[in-house]
Amino acid sequence: MNHDEVAPAGEGAGARMAADRSERGLLRRLASLRLTLGLLALLAVGILIAQRFEEARTWPIVVPLALLAANLLAAVATNGVFRRQTALLVFHLSLVALVLLVAAGRLTYLKGHVGITNGAGFDGELAIDERGPWHVGNLDAVRFTNDGFSVGYAPGWQRGATRNTVLWRDGDGRWQQSVIGDQEPLVLAGYRFYTTFNKGFAPTFGWQRDGATTVHGSVQLPSYPLNEFSQAAEWTPPGSRVAVWVMLDIDEVVIDPHAHSAFRLPQAYKLVVRVGDERHEMRPGDALRLPDGTLTFDGLRGWMGYRVFYDWTLPWLLAAGAVAVVSLGTHFWQKFAASPWNR
Amino acid sequence: MSMENELQILWAAVVAYVLAGVTAVIGVILGKRPERTVLALSVAGLALHASSIGLRWERLGHGPFITMFEILSSNVLSLMLAYTLAYWRIPRIRASAAIVLPLMFVMLGWLMVAHPGEGHYPPTYNTPWLYIHIGLGKVFLGAVLVAVGVSCVILLRRAGIGLRRLTQLPGDRQLDELAFRCMAIGLVFHSLMLIAGAIWAQDAWGRYWDWDPLETWAFVTWLTVAFTLHARVAFRVSPAAHATMILAVFVIAFLTFFGVPFVSMTPHQGAV
Repeated sequence: MNHDEVAPAGEGAGARMAADRSERGLLRRLASLRLTLGLLALLAVGILIAQRFEEARTWPIVVPLALLAANLLAAVATNGVFRRQTALLVFHLSLVALVLLVAAGRLTYLKGHVGITNGAGFDGELAIDERGPWHVGNLDAVRFTNDGFSVGYAPGWQRGATRNTVLWRDGDGRWQQSVIGDQEPLVLAGYRFYTTFNKGFAPTFGWQRDGATTVHGSVQLPSYPLNEFSQAAEWTPPGSRVAVWVMLDIDEVVIDPHAHSAFRLPQAYKLVVRVGDERHEMRPGDALRLPDGTLTFDGLRGWMGYRVFYDWTLPWLLAAGAVAVVSLGTHFWQKFAASPWNR
Repeated sequence: MSMENELQILWAAVVAYVLAGVTAVIGVILGKRPERTVLALSVAGLALHASSIGLRWERLGHGPFITMFEILSSNVLSLMLAYTLAYWRIPRIRASAAIVLPLMFVMLGWLMVAHPGEGHYPPTYNTPWLYIHIGLGKVFLGAVLVAVGVSCVILLRRAGIGLRRLTQLPGDRQLDELAFRCMAIGLVFHSLMLIAGAIWAQDAWGRYWDWDPLETWAFVTWLTVAFTLHARVAFRVSPAAHATMILAVFVIAFLTFFGVPFVSMTPHQGAV
């Protein structure tokens, strides 16, 4: 027999009141400003741990932030004075909104890199990418063409402005041209493409596999001038079993370290190609017979490395941040205007 | 104009600052109030210093935030400007100049031994958001410096130093309230600095936040300011304890803005 079932009504109400009091007591303890201090200190420690150990970047920050949010919401629920100070309340709720937006952004973000040869298009594929578990963007449908770039250099190989012309289709299917660069990304379907310091030379080839049509492509050599003395890469033509090693042997100063200069394609160079033990030197228009096809060197082009970033929360983060600062400023303004500091 | 002229004008500014500081200290020691002289010397120093920075800006084509010399110089200017404004507008705290201006001597000494050569101006710095970001950070540091000045007065009184000579200043409770208000202003401007920095970082490097050492320590500094403001309310701490916390915030902020950028290898090299 369950004793609760036969307990008098008065005792049941008392038990409920005791439970309510207990809940309120718990809520008040959770709303404690002293707990806020402890959690702020915990968050600072978590941040330093996250900064020190990249692999532990999530939980040391998420746990204190979640506890701080609970602490704040409990304070809002239990503290009438807090609720009456509208600006202060809005500031704190904006901080919660910022945390939630950052969390949403981390679940749906994408960042990556891709190198695109001048004259070639982005095909929706990234060389390196990292994405949140709920990323549902439409990167596969994003298309644009790298139409060439310029990079200025001051003496001492100090990189100056980058200007990159890109072609892209608008919503009506019409081609548009934009110039992007150091502060100006190309934004397509929420994906932001930023030029980077990463750029270099790309020998382009025609490859005709035996019995097939010719396809054209390029090999992006390591970034220049960062890797000035290692302008080589190994690559296997599509459908071939033969690995081809190519090296760009430049016979001139491309970027003068003693004068104002600009990134440009070298004029005096030769392309060294190794296939197995065989070594060949190719110039534009030269063809090389491989066991399963013919490789033609079309010429040299530049390539640009892009950083790709997607986070739909960016404008909302800015809005929440602006609301937070305006409300904080309003709160202090009202508080300080109410009485002079030296009364 | 050559760099030599800029440095000569800078030296003249330093001499004016030092004279202002020495006059303030002598005034407190002798129980005099040479406030007009201190204010005039500070303003003269600021005018000379701004001219020196302006000439350098004109010559190099960019603001003073690339090399350690430029960062120190611009920060001495902004901190002196913040304190001189406080000195001018709040006459009752003027005796704190005997503490704040000698604190500035440390930065002036550091500035004098820093190499004045020019550095590379990265293309990612060529945006108004950088200027906004840095300007907001300077207001933050300026507000904290004023809080530090009055906090030092509270702590000196607590230690029994200069009790008689610092009597012209308001009581500890009032100074504590003033320091609290400065820290509150500091929190607002630090928050704005973080937002402007995030906008700049998004455009410059394709991410608004990356936990690089300067970002991390700037956020830790923000937390310490928030902690100090909450602690004053939560524990109703004494003026001396509050003053100690403010000094701790200043030390962390100083190390963040003047230490971290020069030990970090990340692209976020600029300092406030």
